[in-house]
Amino acid sequence: MQYHRFGEIDRAAMGSAAFKETLRAVSWHDDGHWYLGGDRHILVLSADGEPIRDWSTGKPPWSLAVDSEGRVWVGEPGQVEVFSPEGKPEDTWRNDELFGLVTAMAVTADSVFVADAGTRWIHRFDRERQLLNHIGDQHRKGGFHIPNGVVDFGIDLDGTVVVANPGMHRVERYQPGGESLGYFGRFGQHDPAGFPGCCNPTNIALGPGGEVVVSEKAGPRVKVYAPDGALRSVVSGEEDFDPSCKNMDLAVDHQGRIGVVDPVGLALVFYEPTGVAT
Amino acid sequence: MSKDYTRRDVLEVAARGTVLVGLGGVSTLLAVKAHGNDAWYIDITKCVNSRLGAVGVETCLSCATECVLPLSAVRAVNEFEKCGRCYICPAYFDIHSAVDADGLPSKKLCPRDAIERKPIGWIDPDDPANNFYEYIIDENLCNGCGLCVMGCKEPAGLGSITLEVRHDTCLACNRCSISIACPDEAYELRPTA
Repeated sequence: MQYHRFGEIDRAAMGSAAFKETLRAVSWHDDGHWYLGGDRHILVLSADGEPIRDWSTGKPPWSLAVDSEGRVWVGEPGQVEVFSPEGKPEDTWRNDELFGLVTAMAVTADSVFVADAGTRWIHRFDRERQLLNHIGDQHRKGGFHIPNGVVDFGIDLDGTVVVANPGMHRVERYQPGGESLGYFGRFGQHDPAGFPGCCNPTNIALGPGGEVVVSEKAGPRVKVYAPDGALRSVVSGEEDFDPSCKNMDLAVDHQGRIGVVDPVGLALVFYEPTGVAT
Repeated sequence: MSKDYTRRDVLEVAARGTVLVGLGGVSTLLAVKAHGNDAWYIDITKCVNSRLGAVGVETCLSCATECVLPLSAVRAVNEFEKCGRCYICPAYFDIHSAVDADGLPSKKLCPRDAIERKPIGWIDPDDPANNFYEYIIDENLCNGCGLCVMGCKEPAGLGSITLEVRHDTCLACNRCSISIACPDEAYELRPTA
């Protein structure tokens, strides 16, 4: 499969809600909208990239998830804020012990998954805030190895939790209850199938067919793997991003189009599949 | 015709010589340590090897090559609290070298082998990546070349390694040759901390 860059929502296109200092999080929801989090606000974009609405958050957003009812869950330092689809505050989850820095989230019918860079675990709660289990706590390292300071994951259609473990150059799979289902990945500086440097991939998202989409730092690039871990495509090279870019959050829409946060340019960059590689 | 020297003459000559030698020594010392309590420091926000944003540039080796001492007074220092304790450290390994049978880069980055890689705790032989590693710089071997500093710099690493002047060995020269060669004016004379 090949991809090409087909657009970018830059600060000018974001209008008055453009991010000024930080852009950290992106999520796509099947209402067709892209959700962005940075500075101290959320910005919702239409499928065409037009700003629809924005609202302030209590603390700087580091991660985003949109549940099946369209509510927006925002991971922040020390807490998770929940907003209505219109952006009205509905709830705040605080947990001094487990929410150091919430760097990824997912909400399913019965569970809320909260990735915490403080403990380096993913915490799984039920919808009534009862802690069910942790994911990653069985590692001898005490959790996921995240020199970049971010735990990121996605959940596939089967409910499998797919996690980037950059310090081990791996993508790991877990049952929601925390049981390991194995991993793929290895160090490789020159082999594009490998993960280069000290600690990659930094971020991860899952496509509609279970594809594993990852971003890397130093130099920044985006790649797509088949669900079994075979490299499908190098989506973007170093020429697309400032070399200082790291922790580029990702989201994939129902057509397999990838939205990538450019944390230096404070923009959202889009790639779309164009066909099978020859 | 030879002159007969008295005891007084000999003592006068000796005294003059002593004064001259003393003055020469003092003037030399003043020339070397002209700045009193000042000392040379490296501003890591200016040094190209550690300055954020200077990505994809050559490592500057001036600290190692320009010092008048046989082994430069500059050393690389690893701030352990900031270090990611990575399995594959880009300051320790030459990450561009071929991968060996264990899946690790086959070459080290430091030309003087001054960095020791130590596993923290017990290593699982079936999964050595599942461990933290400590990176210790041997000050007796390090010459401050800066290769590891560049390797560790963000975004490739966490920037835990920086260059420092060792004031117990630095001669505090008035016109420090490193400062003259430094392309970034990162070598600065400041009051001692």
